[in-house]
Amino acid sequence: MATLLVIAFWTAASVALALALSRLQNRTSAPQAAPFLGGGTPDTHAWQRYHFRAYTMTLLFIAFEMEMMFMYPWAVVFVSEGLKAMAEMGMFLTILAVGILYGWREGVFRWE
Amino acid sequence: MTTALLVLTLASTLAVGAWLGAWFDRLAPLLYGGRAAGPLAPLRAGAAALLRPRIETEAPDRMNARLAPGWYLALAAAGLSVVPFAPGAALIETPVGIVVWGSCEALTIVAVFLHGWSPNAPFPLIGAYRYAAIGLPVMLPSMFVLIAAALPAESLSFTAIVESQREVWNIVRQPLGLPLFLIVGLTLTLRGPMDFADAADIAGGTSAEDSGPGRALWQGARLAMLVSFSAVAATTFLGGPLGPALPGPVWLWIKTAAIMALTVAVGHGVARTTPSRMLTILWVVLLPLSFVHLLVSGVLAL
Amino acid sequence: MSWLARLAAGAPAPVYPVIGEGAQPRVERLFASAALERAQSPRAAALLLVSGNIPEAHREALDRVHDQVPRPRLGLHWEGDDGIEERLLDAWRTLCAGATGDADRLPDEPPNPWEGEGDFGQGGEGMMGGVPYGRPMAMTGEDVRDGLELDRYTARVGPFAPMLPPGLVLEVTLQGDVIVACDVLSPPYPQPEDADDPALCAARMLRLLGLPGPADRLIRGGAAHAIGARRAIPRGLGRLENAGDARMRFADALRGRNGGAADGIFDTLIGLEWSEAALALASVTPSALRQAALEVA
Repeated sequence: MATLLVIAFWTAASVALALALSRLQNRTSAPQAAPFLGGGTPDTHAWQRYHFRAYTMTLLFIAFEMEMMFMYPWAVVFVSEGLKAMAEMGMFLTILAVGILYGWREGVFRWE
Repeated sequence: MTTALLVLTLASTLAVGAWLGAWFDRLAPLLYGGRAAGPLAPLRAGAAALLRPRIETEAPDRMNARLAPGWYLALAAAGLSVVPFAPGAALIETPVGIVVWGSCEALTIVAVFLHGWSPNAPFPLIGAYRYAAIGLPVMLPSMFVLIAAALPAESLSFTAIVESQREVWNIVRQPLGLPLFLIVGLTLTLRGPMDFADAADIAGGTSAEDSGPGRALWQGARLAMLVSFSAVAATTFLGGPLGPALPGPVWLWIKTAAIMALTVAVGHGVARTTPSRMLTILWVVLLPLSFVHLLVSGVLAL
Repeated sequence: MSWLARLAAGAPAPVYPVIGEGAQPRVERLFASAALERAQSPRAAALLLVSGNIPEAHREALDRVHDQVPRPRLGLHWEGDDGIEERLLDAWRTLCAGATGDADRLPDEPPNPWEGEGDFGQGGEGMMGGVPYGRPMAMTGEDVRDGLELDRYTARVGPFAPMLPPGLVLEVTLQGDVIVACDVLSPPYPQPEDADDPALCAARMLRLLGLPGPADRLIRGGAAHAIGARRAIPRGLGRLENAGDARMRFADALRGRNGGAADGIFDTLIGLEWSEAALALASVTPSALRQAALEVA
């Protein structure tokens, strides 16, 4: 509970600061508001169905993120469980490492 | 009472630390035979930015354009709250400190993304997506490093991690930890080789459309994140507030400043490669390296 | 003058340089040594430094960049005479003291008229019709790398884009951050021979690699001590017949040697990610790039 209160306090303070600063604003004219392209002009809005080149990588990332969840409790009992914990995590990481190798071979880290 | 004192300590650590980080940035040209600026220079630059007006881009996401720097600053402050200023004296005294800090790291990607997304302009948008692609895999070495530090402490709390370093600091028994964590810090603070959000080839990236107070707050939040990251690194690897003679907070400040200087120097002197190559390096070199780090730290902890 | 303004007046003047014909080397040398801040975009600047002749065709682009500097702003011309640093600092102090500065040059009209039709007045039906908030939305097209059908973003970049050589206008179509189509609308401006100085060429690449400190040192005549600058450039990037790739040309420039012709460099841009394209263009000398652009433009 105290944790949440502290986080809420910092968030409120930062948001208040950001809002206070954003009040200092000139009226922006149309040529001023145009997106900066070094003097050039765009055809369309910048917001788009953006081609995120790393999308296949994100799938591999999710596998590792899940693994992190298992690692938190594992880290706490590691010393008391000893070699057994070591071997278990070693096997788990080996399986995931095969995933990296497979992804690398399939080119998921390339920008496409 | 203690809480109020800790809140004040934290806020002033962030403020003074941000000033110090900005000054380090202006001392960095000395490394390259350039001119250094005096200690007043960061304040002058801050005043100059505050004095300039804010402009609004065409059809922006107004709420996030205003709030993204605030989110970033809030994450820096929340992250610093888990750091004990004296043994056992953190604002957030929780058994899962590294989970709280880890969430602040991960949400930083969201804050930077929103900052690039909100102006509805091409260069900030490219910076935002680029940062998401690089920021996500950087979170993995970060968690391996923090979990490795938790092994000898047998706890996820930063206070316990500090206690576990009474005999020997983690930088000695986990030598790969600080270099790996430094890469995380460069990513979190958008610096040098890991600055894929605000890079020069996209005219300043997510901050290309920033001016005035919004720009000042964004740069301030980056510096605040530098302070928080350095404090966490000092706690995890340099024993945090532990040290002879001087009181705990002073030791923490000294160590934090040292890590800040190191991060700034690396940020100014190491080249940034292209995003696709960095993505491969992160997965194929850095992640296996953090496996090795965990293995070595695990063996030494037993 | 408030205390804030007095404090601000002591800061280095934030300047966005607009480089015209024949001005590239002197502007690059000015920012490598002066106590000025070279803004990466006009949003971060208060002063617009116009140096060298700007052709009539690029007058509107100049006005656009001028207007993108937030008010109050001041534009200055520089033809290479001494004392520019003092002039810029004076202009900055004038602005801090509360001067109103230059007015907008372009008319205050939205890029497309508001048509008052459709759910949001965008002048069309549904999600994609008309021009919501003054501009159309991007439409899909096939990608050159993986064939996915996602949006294409077309824009003209330059002639005063900080990551491109001055004068170069590219009409690029991006999918994500990868260039799928690229036309040269206008070649880089002619520059004096001095612009091909290997130190200046290498410094441009160092800046793109996030190393402004070593870049400045190189321009001032020192050695560029940076970690991994050469290896940061992907092998094979911008490979040309008889002129090697960008990494090799960068290493040559550091050794004080100039590259040769750059014919065909614009063909290598298709399929490159934006930062790779910027590096490839910076890896050839301004004169060679101009020749290559004149051939395709």
